[in-house]
Amino acid sequence: MRAFRETGFEELLTAFLGRSSILPPPDPGGQREFLEEYLRAGAPEFPFLYRACLLALRALSLIMKGRPFSRLEEREREDFLNRLLSSRNPLLRGTALLAGMPLYMSYYRRPEVSVPLGFDPQALRDEADLRVVTRDRSLPPREEGKP
Amino acid sequence: MILTPEEVASDLRLEADVAIIGSGAGGGPLARELASEGHRVVVIEEGGYFTRRDFNLRPSEAYMRMYRDAGQTVTLGMPFILLPLGKTVGGTTTVNSGTALRMHRPVLKKWQLAHGLREITEGELDLIYAHLEEYLFVKRADPEVAGKVARTFLAGAERLGLSCGWLPRNAKECEGFGSCVFGCPSGSKQSVDVSFIPDAVAFGADIYTRCRAERILLREGRAVGVSASFLDPVSGRPNGRRLEVGAKVVVLSAGAVSSPFLLLRQGLANSSGQVGKNLQIHPAVQTVALFDEVLGPPRGIPQACYVDEFQGEGIMLEGGTVPPEVHALALPFAGRRHASLMEKYPNMGIFGGMVSESDSRGRVVDLRRAGGRPAMLYNLRGRDVEKAKAAVVLMAEIWFAAGARRVFTPIAGHYELCGPRDLRRLERSRVRASDFYGMSAYHPLGTCRMGGDPEWSVVRHTGETWDVENLFICDGSILPSSPGVNPQLTIMAMAMRIAGFVDEKLSA
Ligand SMILES: Cc1cc2nc3c(=O)[nH]c(=O)nc-3n(C[C@H](O)[C@H](O)[C@H](O)COP(=O)(O)OP(=O)(O)OC[C@H]3O[C@@H](n4cnc5c(N)ncnc54)[C@H](O)[C@@H]3O)c2cc1C
Repeated sequence: MRAFRETGFEELLTAFLGRSSILPPPDPGGQREFLEEYLRAGAPEFPFLYRACLLALRALSLIMKGRPFSRLEEREREDFLNRLLSSRNPLLRGTALLAGMPLYMSYYRRPEVSVPLGFDPQALRDEADLRVVTRDRSLPPREEGKP
Repeated sequence: MILTPEEVASDLRLEADVAIIGSGAGGGPLARELASEGHRVVVIEEGGYFTRRDFNLRPSEAYMRMYRDAGQTVTLGMPFILLPLGKTVGGTTTVNSGTALRMHRPVLKKWQLAHGLREITEGELDLIYAHLEEYLFVKRADPEVAGKVARTFLAGAERLGLSCGWLPRNAKECEGFGSCVFGCPSGSKQSVDVSFIPDAVAFGADIYTRCRAERILLREGRAVGVSASFLDPVSGRPNGRRLEVGAKVVVLSAGAVSSPFLLLRQGLANSSGQVGKNLQIHPAVQTVALFDEVLGPPRGIPQACYVDEFQGEGIMLEGGTVPPEVHALALPFAGRRHASLMEKYPNMGIFGGMVSESDSRGRVVDLRRAGGRPAMLYNLRGRDVEKAKAAVVLMAEIWFAAGARRVFTPIAGHYELCGPRDLRRLERSRVRASDFYGMSAYHPLGTCRMGGDPEWSVVRHTGETWDVENLFICDGSILPSSPGVNPQLTIMAMAMRIAGFVDEKLSA
């Protein structure tokens, strides 16, 4: 992620995710790791496109705000991103949308974020193990536990 | 047997009656039918094989493992449309929502009259649909299991007097784990990986996984086999080992994007010039609604109910709750705004609408990019933009009728609706294709269309290509137009029909 230095990445995360009163703060290290894995797993052109979006954000910040993204106040960064996202110009909107997409995924996939929101994949997984369906027989009664 | 590249130590050369490329809604049923008739069937599948134990309900992991390009496939045009494609044993059915609808009846008339497909009759299709519905345990979603989001939306639709109901689904004893599109963790969803494929294997078919078909082998103008490469499970690149299957019949079932791409690469079966053209995708929009009460997503059946009041005009509404990781992408806000809304995720519902009959047509092309990959070109045009907007307006009306405090739409300039006044403003506004935020589509179809005239179609009603003897196509690409609803059951029905013709050919 050459387009953003370590600190730039953190600022970007906070600008997209905001500060929640009930959810934990972003985890730049873990999220960066996920991001790299996600970019590698995708279409060959995707990492290039993603970096291009980050560079475009920097350039747009200079053009629209007169300052680099990293020098904007926290609220200014958020306003800048919201302006892009609500633009009727699909390129401006697309730049912010694409830049934000894996950041949101990398944050909300963390169990410490999703569980307080009511989504606990591990608990559902465990429950599903107790309710295995096969094609040729009915479910056992709940009390019987693991098949 | 289901084989992985690790089990193959050297290059392989096999002989079979039928080689099938792809194991999805088209390839899976075909493999089962032909294997059950005693034919030697080899299936070549680019994706890996996963079972319910591998499905951990984590969206991003599912995207990376079971979707082509980690779910990042998009159409090029205005607007960009996310078009995710499954890449796993069972094809896209392994990661689909499990809606199992018969085609919209007037569409069959159109196929018969406009596409010369008189051989496909309503009576024959009814029999096949009934058989499939029994085999796949199709029944209506259980309102008790469906979840509060679906019940709330449906209550809103009923309040407005709209035609609506619970969707038929190929799910047995579903308990609503809210995760159909990331793999069903209980094995309830009767996708091809848990139904047709295990049966095909029991009848003796072999499935070669993580194996990418690259060429259809020809001799004297006839298809005689397939050449393929085994893939490294981590990098997805060829691992140096090859598979060659000599076969009496070759069936291309790689889906509406990969099937035309393979043909275009080889310059095959395209005397009509129709290969790759006529791409239809059912462009989809979604709305998010905020309620005072807790709705508790994503527990329940993500896609449990429908509103078909405007199906005749090409608009179908079908629900879809998603985990926070995906829900967050539907909210077009950043920063504090985003955080404060996501904190209310438990009080939110999400619902989708698709343009089920559209005028827009795209195409699959071979851009001759490195590594050889298809590109999908698609522009959302005139009336379809209106229909997408109408779907958004209708969903918003239903949400408000159901008691929503606010509704969030994907239309720039109208992201947040606080009540009927905002809704009227949206209704009056002129919306352009480029105004849609994060549009998606899930049903690519039509790129090797079936028809009665070799000048206008790629395959006959039997599934055999007009140009290459013994080369059949059997997947979403052969549907001459949208079936007006989610297509998996119709693709399977076509596969059952085509199996009969392949069997005849092999037995002759
Ligand atoms: C998220 C989502 C939800 C959906 N929900 C529904 C729903 O509820 N109801 C419904 O009716 N439809 C639904 N669909 C659509 C439905 O699943 C597809 O229309 C259907 O599976 C298409 O069948 P197919 O045979 O054309 O292709 P697929 O099922 O996609 O199968 C094609 C297979 O071919 C393989 N392949 C491709 N190229 C090669 C190659 N070169 N070599 C070897 N293998 C190859 C692919 O890996 C894939 O496994 C959904 C789709 C998505 C993405």
